[in-house]
Amino acid sequence: MNPADPEDRTVAAAEYVLGTLSEADRESFLTQMAGDRELQAEVGYWQDRLLGLAARIEPVEPSDGVWHRIDAALQFQAGSRPAGIAREYTGQATPSKTSWWNRLGFWRGLSGLAVAASLLLASLLVLQQQEEPQARYVAVLQSPDRLAGWIVQAADREPVKLIPLGDPGPIPQDRSWQFWTKGKDAAAPTSLGLLPAGGATEIPRSRLPDLGDEQLFEITLEPAAGSPTGRPTGPVLFLGRARRA
Amino acid sequence: MADVAPNSFDYEGLLAACARGERGALKTLYDREARWLMGVAMRIVRNHALAEEILQEAFLQIWKAAATFDAARGSARGWIYTVVRHRALQEIRRTGHEVSFDTEDLENLSDDRQAPDSEAPGIGTAELENCLQQLEPKKRACIMHAFVEGYTHEQIASKLDTPLGTVKSWVRRGLLSLKECLA
Repeated sequence: MNPADPEDRTVAAAEYVLGTLSEADRESFLTQMAGDRELQAEVGYWQDRLLGLAARIEPVEPSDGVWHRIDAALQFQAGSRPAGIAREYTGQATPSKTSWWNRLGFWRGLSGLAVAASLLLASLLVLQQQEEPQARYVAVLQSPDRLAGWIVQAADREPVKLIPLGDPGPIPQDRSWQFWTKGKDAAAPTSLGLLPAGGATEIPRSRLPDLGDEQLFEITLEPAAGSPTGRPTGPVLFLGRARRA
Repeated sequence: MADVAPNSFDYEGLLAACARGERGALKTLYDREARWLMGVAMRIVRNHALAEEILQEAFLQIWKAAATFDAARGSARGWIYTVVRHRALQEIRRTGHEVSFDTEDLENLSDDRQAPDSEAPGIGTAELENCLQQLEPKKRACIMHAFVEGYTHEQIASKLDTPLGTVKSWVRRGLLSLKECLA
Protein backbone atom coordinates (compact mmCIF):
# COMPACT_ATOMS: atom_id res chain seq x y z
CA MET A 1 0.00 0.00 0.00
CA ASN A 2 1.19 3.48 -0.83
CA PRO A 3 -0.07 5.41 2.23
CA ALA A 4 -0.38 8.60 0.19
CA ASP A 5 -2.62 7.07 -2.49
CA PRO A 6 -6.34 7.25 -1.60
CA GLU A 7 -7.23 4.25 -3.81
CA ASP A 8 -4.47 2.14 -2.31
CA ARG A 9 -5.64 3.08 1.16
CA THR A 10 -9.27 2.14 0.63
CA VAL A 11 -8.40 -1.14 -1.16
CA ALA A 12 -5.89 -2.09 1.56
CA ALA A 13 -8.47 -1.35 4.29
CA ALA A 14 -11.12 -3.43 2.48
CA GLU A 15 -8.68 -6.30 1.91
CA TYR A 16 -7.60 -6.15 5.55
CA VAL A 17 -11.27 -6.61 6.54
CA LEU A 18 -11.78 -9.34 3.91
CA GLY A 19 -8.62 -11.08 5.09
CA THR A 20 -6.93 -11.28 1.67
CA LEU A 21 -3.73 -9.39 2.57
CA SER A 22 -0.59 -11.52 2.61
CA GLU A 23 1.09 -11.93 5.98
CA ALA A 24 3.72 -9.29 5.12
CA ASP A 25 1.15 -6.83 3.73
CA ARG A 26 -1.11 -7.34 6.73
CA GLU A 27 1.76 -6.62 9.08
CA SER A 28 2.75 -3.43 7.31
CA PHE A 29 -0.92 -2.40 7.11
CA LEU A 30 -1.29 -2.82 10.89
CA THR A 31 1.89 -0.80 11.41
CA GLN A 32 0.53 2.00 9.24
CA MET A 33 -2.94 1.83 10.82
CA ALA A 34 -1.59 2.09 14.39
CA GLY A 35 -0.89 5.80 13.93
CA ASP A 36 -3.37 6.66 11.18
CA ARG A 37 -6.87 7.46 12.42
CA GLU A 38 -8.23 8.01 8.91
CA LEU A 39 -7.13 4.51 7.98
CA GLN A 40 -8.79 3.17 11.14
CA ALA A 41 -12.01 4.88 10.05
CA GLU A 42 -11.63 3.39 6.55
CA VAL A 43 -11.43 -0.07 8.12
CA GLY A 44 -14.61 0.74 10.06
CA TYR A 45 -16.31 1.82 6.84
CA TRP A 46 -15.56 -1.49 5.10
CA GLN A 47 -16.37 -3.50 8.19
CA ASP A 48 -19.84 -1.97 8.19
CA ARG A 49 -20.42 -2.10 4.44
CA LEU A 50 -19.28 -5.71 3.96
CA LEU A 51 -21.31 -6.80 6.99
CA GLY A 52 -24.32 -7.11 4.68
CA LEU A 53 -22.60 -10.04 2.92
CA ALA A 54 -22.94 -12.01 6.16
CA ALA A 55 -26.70 -11.85 5.74
CA ARG A 56 -26.35 -14.20 2.75
CA ILE A 57 -24.79 -16.87 4.91
CA GLU A 58 -27.10 -19.50 6.35
CA PRO A 59 -27.16 -19.21 10.15
CA VAL A 60 -26.09 -22.28 12.13
CA GLU A 61 -27.19 -22.96 15.70
CA PRO A 62 -24.24 -23.58 17.99
CA SER A 63 -24.75 -26.20 20.70
CA ASP A 64 -25.63 -25.06 24.23
CA GLY A 65 -22.18 -26.09 25.40
CA VAL A 66 -20.57 -23.10 23.68
CA TRP A 67 -22.22 -20.51 25.88
CA HIS A 68 -21.70 -22.67 28.97
CA ARG A 69 -17.97 -22.76 28.29
CA ILE A 70 -17.85 -19.00 27.71
CA ASP A 71 -19.84 -18.42 30.90
CA ALA A 72 -17.58 -20.76 32.87
CA ALA A 73 -14.53 -18.77 31.74
CA LEU A 74 -16.23 -15.54 32.81
CA GLN A 75 -17.21 -17.03 36.19
CA PHE A 76 -13.56 -17.37 37.06
CA GLN A 77 -13.24 -13.64 37.13
CA ALA A 78 -16.57 -12.98 38.83
CA GLY A 79 -16.98 -9.44 40.02
CA SER A 80 -13.91 -8.28 38.17
CA ARG A 81 -13.40 -6.12 35.15
CA PRO A 82 -11.97 -7.38 31.90
CA ALA A 83 -8.27 -6.64 31.57
CA GLY A 84 -8.81 -4.49 28.48
CA ILE A 85 -5.77 -5.05 26.35
CA ALA A 86 -4.90 -1.93 24.38
CA ARG A 87 -3.27 -1.91 20.96
CA GLU A 88 -1.67 1.41 21.66
CA TYR A 89 -1.07 3.81 24.50
CA THR A 90 -4.47 5.44 24.36
CA GLY A 91 -5.12 5.30 28.06
CA GLN A 92 -8.53 3.82 27.21
CA ALA A 93 -7.87 0.40 28.61
CA THR A 94 -9.67 -0.10 31.89
CA PRO A 95 -7.19 -0.83 34.67
CA SER A 96 -7.90 -4.32 35.88
CA LYS A 97 -8.88 -4.85 39.48
CA THR A 98 -8.67 -8.62 38.95
CA SER A 99 -6.64 -10.52 41.50
CA TRP A 100 -3.84 -12.72 40.32
CA TRP A 101 -5.59 -15.89 41.22
CA ASN A 102 -8.74 -14.98 39.38
CA ARG A 103 -6.74 -14.25 36.30
CA LEU A 104 -4.79 -17.46 36.62
CA GLY A 105 -8.09 -19.30 36.77
CA PHE A 106 -9.28 -17.55 33.67
CA TRP A 107 -6.16 -18.44 31.71
CA ARG A 108 -6.60 -22.11 32.47
CA GLY A 109 -9.60 -22.01 30.18
CA LEU A 110 -7.79 -20.31 27.35
CA SER A 111 -4.99 -22.38 25.87
CA GLY A 112 -2.17 -24.76 26.55
CA LEU A 113 0.30 -21.92 26.42
CA ALA A 114 -1.70 -19.93 28.93
CA VAL A 115 -1.82 -22.95 31.21
CA ALA A 116 1.95 -23.23 30.97
CA ALA A 117 2.16 -19.54 31.86
CA SER A 118 -0.05 -20.06 34.91
CA LEU A 119 2.08 -22.92 36.17
CA LEU A 120 5.33 -21.05 35.61
CA LEU A 121 3.91 -17.99 37.33
CA ALA A 122 2.69 -19.98 40.31
CA SER A 123 6.13 -21.52 40.75
CA LEU A 124 7.80 -18.13 40.36
CA LEU A 125 5.53 -16.66 43.01
CA VAL A 126 6.32 -19.49 45.45
CA LEU A 127 10.05 -19.15 44.85
CA GLN A 128 9.93 -15.43 45.36
CA GLN A 129 8.07 -15.68 48.62
CA GLN A 130 11.01 -17.61 50.08
CA GLU A 131 13.48 -14.79 49.42
CA GLU A 132 14.04 -11.59 51.36
CA PRO A 133 11.10 -9.19 51.53
CA GLN A 134 11.40 -6.80 48.62
CA ALA A 135 8.63 -5.38 46.45
CA ARG A 136 8.42 -7.79 43.53
CA TYR A 137 6.36 -7.50 40.40
CA VAL A 138 5.38 -9.91 37.68
CA ALA A 139 3.72 -9.17 34.35
CA VAL A 140 2.52 -11.68 31.79
CA LEU A 141 2.62 -10.16 28.31
CA GLN A 142 -0.16 -11.33 26.02
CA SER A 143 -0.61 -10.96 22.29
CA PRO A 144 -3.74 -9.20 20.93
CA ASP A 145 -5.23 -12.69 20.54
CA ARG A 146 -4.66 -13.27 24.22
CA LEU A 147 -1.86 -15.78 24.02
CA ALA A 148 0.67 -15.41 26.83
CA GLY A 149 4.11 -14.92 25.24
CA TRP A 150 6.51 -13.42 27.78
CA ILE A 151 6.91 -12.95 31.52
CA VAL A 152 8.48 -9.86 33.07
CA GLN A 153 9.95 -10.12 36.55
CA ALA A 154 11.01 -6.95 38.32
CA ALA A 155 12.09 -5.95 41.81
CA ASP A 156 13.41 -2.78 43.38
CA ARG A 157 17.04 -3.81 43.64
CA GLU A 158 17.42 -6.30 40.80
CA PRO A 159 17.67 -6.26 37.00
CA VAL A 160 14.38 -6.59 35.14
CA LYS A 161 14.07 -10.03 33.59
CA LEU A 162 12.15 -10.69 30.37
CA ILE A 163 11.56 -14.40 29.79
CA PRO A 164 9.91 -15.92 26.69
CA LEU A 165 7.29 -18.63 27.24
CA GLY A 166 8.36 -21.06 24.58
CA ASP A 167 10.03 -20.15 21.31
CA PRO A 168 9.13 -16.58 20.32
CA GLY A 169 10.06 -17.31 16.69
CA PRO A 170 12.33 -15.24 14.44
CA ILE A 171 12.34 -11.45 14.41
CA PRO A 172 11.11 -10.41 10.94
CA GLN A 173 13.84 -9.26 8.57
CA ASP A 174 14.64 -5.53 8.70
CA ARG A 175 12.56 -5.19 11.86
CA SER A 176 13.18 -5.26 15.58
CA TRP A 177 11.23 -6.06 18.71
CA GLN A 178 11.40 -3.15 21.10
CA PHE A 179 10.63 -3.44 24.80
CA TRP A 180 8.84 -0.59 26.57
CA THR A 181 7.49 0.30 29.96
CA LYS A 182 5.13 2.95 31.23
CA GLY A 183 4.34 3.60 34.90
CA LYS A 184 0.73 3.81 35.98
CA ASP A 185 0.77 7.61 36.01
CA ALA A 186 3.60 8.25 33.56
CA ALA A 187 2.88 10.52 30.61
CA ALA A 188 4.83 8.51 28.07
CA PRO A 189 6.45 5.10 27.67
CA THR A 190 10.19 4.60 28.12
CA SER A 191 12.20 2.35 25.83
CA LEU A 192 14.00 -0.52 27.50
CA GLY A 193 15.84 -1.37 24.30
CA LEU A 194 15.68 -3.86 21.45
CA LEU A 195 15.30 -7.55 22.18
CA PRO A 196 17.95 -10.07 21.11
CA ALA A 197 16.70 -12.94 18.93
CA GLY A 198 15.04 -15.70 20.89
CA GLY A 199 16.39 -15.59 24.39
CA ALA A 200 15.76 -14.13 27.78
CA THR A 201 16.96 -10.61 28.49
CA GLU A 202 17.99 -8.68 31.59
CA ILE A 203 17.75 -4.94 31.82
CA PRO A 204 19.42 -2.86 34.56
CA ARG A 205 16.87 -1.61 37.08
CA SER A 206 18.28 1.92 36.54
CA ARG A 207 16.82 2.00 33.00
CA LEU A 208 13.31 2.09 34.50
CA PRO A 209 12.19 5.52 35.62
CA ASP A 210 9.81 3.91 38.07
CA LEU A 211 8.49 0.53 39.19
CA GLY A 212 5.05 -0.09 40.65
CA ASP A 213 1.77 -1.92 40.53
CA GLU A 214 -0.15 -1.72 37.22
CA GLN A 215 2.98 -0.65 35.39
CA LEU A 216 2.62 -1.42 31.70
CA PHE A 217 5.19 -3.49 29.80
CA GLU A 218 4.95 -4.10 26.09
CA ILE A 219 6.82 -5.28 23.03
CA THR A 220 6.21 -3.52 19.71
CA LEU A 221 7.37 -4.20 16.17
CA GLU A 222 9.71 -1.42 15.03
CA PRO A 223 12.20 -0.65 12.25
CA ALA A 224 15.51 -2.54 12.50
CA ALA A 225 17.20 0.31 14.40
CA GLY A 226 14.29 0.73 16.80
CA SER A 227 11.60 3.37 16.91
CA PRO A 228 12.84 6.55 15.20
CA THR A 229 10.66 8.74 17.42
CA GLY A 230 11.48 7.40 20.88
CA ARG A 231 7.85 6.36 21.23
CA PRO A 232 6.23 3.11 20.04
CA THR A 233 5.33 3.41 16.36
CA GLY A 234 4.60 -0.18 15.34
CA PRO A 235 1.84 -2.61 16.32
CA VAL A 236 1.81 -3.99 19.85
CA LEU A 237 2.94 -7.62 19.77
CA PHE A 238 2.64 -8.33 23.49
CA LEU A 239 1.37 -6.30 26.39
CA GLY A 240 0.69 -6.77 30.09
CA ARG A 241 0.49 -4.97 33.43
CA ALA A 242 2.72 -5.69 36.39
CA ARG A 243 1.17 -7.03 39.61
CA ARG A 244 2.81 -6.99 42.97
CA ALA A 245 3.69 -10.59 43.75
CA MET B 1 -34.85 -9.75 22.66
CA ALA B 2 -36.74 -11.13 19.67
CA ASP B 3 -39.26 -8.31 19.69
CA VAL B 4 -36.61 -5.62 19.46
CA ALA B 5 -36.24 -4.11 16.01
CA PRO B 6 -32.71 -4.63 14.61
CA ASN B 7 -31.98 -0.95 14.37
CA SER B 8 -32.75 -0.35 18.01
CA PHE B 9 -30.62 -3.20 19.30
CA ASP B 10 -27.86 -1.31 21.10
CA TYR B 11 -24.62 -3.10 20.18
CA GLU B 12 -22.46 -0.15 21.24
CA GLY B 13 -24.18 0.06 24.63
CA LEU B 14 -23.78 -3.67 25.18
CA LEU B 15 -20.06 -3.54 24.34
CA ALA B 16 -19.65 -0.65 26.77
CA ALA B 17 -21.42 -2.75 29.42
CA CYS B 18 -19.00 -5.62 28.67
CA ALA B 19 -16.11 -3.21 29.21
CA ARG B 20 -17.62 -2.42 32.63
CA GLY B 21 -17.62 -6.12 33.44
CA GLU B 22 -21.37 -6.81 33.04
CA ARG B 23 -21.58 -10.42 32.00
CA GLY B 24 -25.28 -10.19 31.16
CA ALA B 25 -24.40 -7.84 28.29
CA LEU B 26 -22.18 -10.47 26.67
CA LYS B 27 -25.00 -13.01 27.05
CA THR B 28 -27.43 -10.65 25.32
CA LEU B 29 -24.96 -10.17 22.45
CA TYR B 30 -24.42 -13.90 22.26
CA ASP B 31 -28.13 -14.72 22.21
CA ARG B 32 -28.61 -12.24 19.43
CA GLU B 33 -25.62 -13.02 17.21
CA ALA B 34 -24.35 -16.53 17.96
CA ARG B 35 -26.19 -18.36 15.16
CA TRP B 36 -25.17 -15.76 12.56
CA LEU B 37 -21.56 -15.72 13.71
CA MET B 38 -21.54 -19.51 13.88
CA GLY B 39 -22.71 -19.57 10.26
CA VAL B 40 -19.92 -17.16 9.27
CA ALA B 41 -17.26 -19.26 11.07
CA MET B 42 -18.65 -22.52 9.65
CA ARG B 43 -18.37 -21.29 6.06
CA ILE B 44 -14.70 -20.46 6.61
CA VAL B 45 -13.50 -23.47 8.63
CA ARG B 46 -16.04 -26.07 7.35
CA ASN B 47 -16.06 -27.98 10.61
CA HIS B 48 -18.77 -27.71 13.24
CA ALA B 49 -16.62 -28.43 16.30
CA LEU B 50 -13.87 -26.07 15.14
CA ALA B 51 -16.40 -23.34 14.37
CA GLU B 52 -17.80 -23.66 17.91
CA GLU B 53 -14.30 -23.35 19.31
CA ILE B 54 -13.74 -20.20 17.27
CA LEU B 55 -17.07 -18.76 18.40
CA GLN B 56 -16.12 -19.41 22.01
CA GLU B 57 -12.64 -17.87 21.70
CA ALA B 58 -14.00 -14.91 19.76
CA PHE B 59 -16.59 -14.10 22.45
CA LEU B 60 -13.91 -14.22 25.14
CA GLN B 61 -11.82 -11.92 22.95
CA ILE B 62 -14.81 -9.57 22.52
CA TRP B 63 -15.25 -9.52 26.31
CA LYS B 64 -11.60 -8.79 26.98
CA ALA B 65 -11.15 -6.21 24.22
CA ALA B 66 -14.52 -4.44 24.61
CA ALA B 67 -12.82 -1.48 26.32
CA THR B 68 -10.69 -0.84 23.24
CA PHE B 69 -13.67 -0.61 20.86
CA ASP B 70 -13.91 2.91 19.43
CA ALA B 71 -17.24 3.91 17.88
CA ALA B 72 -15.40 6.53 15.77
CA ARG B 73 -14.05 3.59 13.75
CA GLY B 74 -17.32 1.97 12.70
CA SER B 75 -20.17 0.09 14.31
CA ALA B 76 -19.90 -2.37 17.18
CA ARG B 77 -21.67 -5.03 15.14
CA GLY B 78 -19.16 -4.70 12.29
CA TRP B 79 -16.31 -4.94 14.80
CA ILE B 80 -17.75 -8.12 16.33
CA TYR B 81 -18.00 -9.79 12.91
CA THR B 82 -14.42 -8.86 12.09
CA VAL B 83 -13.22 -10.38 15.38
CA VAL B 84 -14.95 -13.66 14.52
CA ARG B 85 -13.96 -13.72 10.83
CA HIS B 86 -10.33 -12.89 11.52
CA ARG B 87 -10.17 -15.49 14.27
CA ALA B 88 -11.52 -18.11 11.83
CA LEU B 89 -9.13 -16.98 9.06
CA GLN B 90 -6.18 -17.10 11.45
CA GLU B 91 -7.13 -20.69 12.24
CA ILE B 92 -7.28 -21.94 8.64
CA ARG B 93 -4.16 -20.00 7.61
CA ARG B 94 -2.24 -21.25 10.65
CA THR B 95 -3.11 -24.88 10.06
CA GLY B 96 -2.80 -24.57 6.30
CA HIS B 97 -6.22 -26.20 6.23
CA GLU B 98 -7.23 -26.45 2.58
CA VAL B 99 -10.93 -25.99 2.13
CA SER B 100 -12.62 -27.98 -0.57
CA PHE B 101 -14.38 -26.03 -3.21
CA ASP B 102 -18.01 -26.83 -3.69
CA THR B 103 -19.56 -25.70 -6.94
CA GLU B 104 -22.86 -25.21 -5.17
CA ASP B 105 -21.31 -22.60 -2.94
CA LEU B 106 -21.92 -19.69 -5.22
CA GLU B 107 -25.39 -20.91 -6.12
CA ASN B 108 -26.24 -21.03 -2.44
CA LEU B 109 -25.23 -17.40 -2.35
CA SER B 110 -27.52 -16.61 -5.24
CA ASP B 111 -27.52 -12.98 -6.10
CA ASP B 112 -31.17 -12.33 -5.50
CA ARG B 113 -31.37 -14.10 -2.19
CA GLN B 114 -33.01 -11.93 0.44
CA ALA B 115 -32.23 -12.61 4.05
CA PRO B 116 -35.52 -13.86 5.50
CA ASP B 117 -34.67 -12.73 9.00
CA SER B 118 -35.04 -9.18 10.29
CA GLU B 119 -32.10 -9.80 12.61
CA ALA B 120 -29.76 -10.65 9.73
CA PRO B 121 -26.54 -8.65 9.86
CA GLY B 122 -26.06 -5.63 7.64
CA ILE B 123 -26.08 -1.88 7.47
CA GLY B 124 -27.74 -0.48 4.35
CA THR B 125 -27.97 -4.04 3.02
CA ALA B 126 -30.38 -3.21 0.19
CA GLU B 127 -27.97 -0.56 -1.07
CA LEU B 128 -25.08 -3.03 -0.88
CA GLU B 129 -27.09 -5.63 -2.80
CA ASN B 130 -27.93 -3.11 -5.45
CA CYS B 131 -24.28 -2.14 -5.88
CA LEU B 132 -23.16 -5.78 -5.95
CA GLN B 133 -25.61 -6.36 -8.81
CA GLN B 134 -23.89 -3.62 -10.77
CA LEU B 135 -20.47 -5.26 -10.46
CA GLU B 136 -19.17 -7.50 -13.20
CA PRO B 137 -20.00 -11.07 -12.11
CA LYS B 138 -16.34 -12.11 -11.88
CA LYS B 139 -15.43 -9.21 -9.65
CA ARG B 140 -18.47 -9.90 -7.51
CA ALA B 141 -17.46 -13.56 -7.26
CA CYS B 142 -13.95 -12.61 -6.05
CA ILE B 143 -15.32 -10.44 -3.25
CA MET B 144 -17.89 -13.06 -2.25
CA HIS B 145 -15.31 -15.86 -2.19
CA ALA B 146 -12.98 -13.75 -0.04
CA PHE B 147 -15.66 -12.67 2.44
CA VAL B 148 -17.81 -15.77 2.66
CA GLU B 149 -15.33 -18.62 2.16
CA GLY B 150 -12.30 -16.76 3.51
CA TYR B 151 -10.28 -17.49 0.37
CA THR B 152 -6.88 -15.93 -0.32
CA HIS B 153 -6.09 -14.35 -3.70
CA GLU B 154 -4.24 -17.57 -4.58
CA GLN B 155 -7.21 -19.77 -3.69
CA ILE B 156 -9.60 -17.59 -5.70
CA ALA B 157 -7.22 -17.74 -8.68
CA SER B 158 -7.03 -21.50 -8.44
CA LYS B 159 -10.78 -21.98 -8.02
CA LEU B 160 -11.66 -19.60 -10.84
CA ASP B 161 -8.79 -20.94 -12.97
CA THR B 162 -7.61 -17.40 -13.57
CA PRO B 163 -4.09 -15.91 -13.28
CA LEU B 164 -3.28 -14.49 -9.85
CA GLY B 165 -2.55 -11.00 -11.20
CA THR B 166 -5.96 -10.89 -12.88
CA VAL B 167 -7.70 -11.91 -9.65
CA LYS B 168 -5.82 -9.26 -7.65
CA SER B 169 -6.88 -6.67 -10.21
CA TRP B 170 -10.54 -7.85 -10.14
CA VAL B 171 -10.60 -7.63 -6.35
CA ARG B 172 -9.09 -4.15 -6.41
CA ARG B 173 -11.34 -2.78 -9.13
CA GLY B 174 -14.37 -4.53 -7.69
CA LEU B 175 -13.84 -2.91 -4.29
CA LEU B 176 -13.26 0.53 -5.81
CA SER B 177 -16.44 0.24 -7.93
CA LEU B 178 -18.38 -0.92 -4.89
CA LYS B 179 -17.24 2.07 -2.88
CA GLU B 180 -18.03 4.45 -5.70
CA CYS B 181 -21.53 2.98 -6.04
CA LEU B 182 -22.15 3.11 -2.27
CA ALA B 183 -21.04 6.75 -1.98
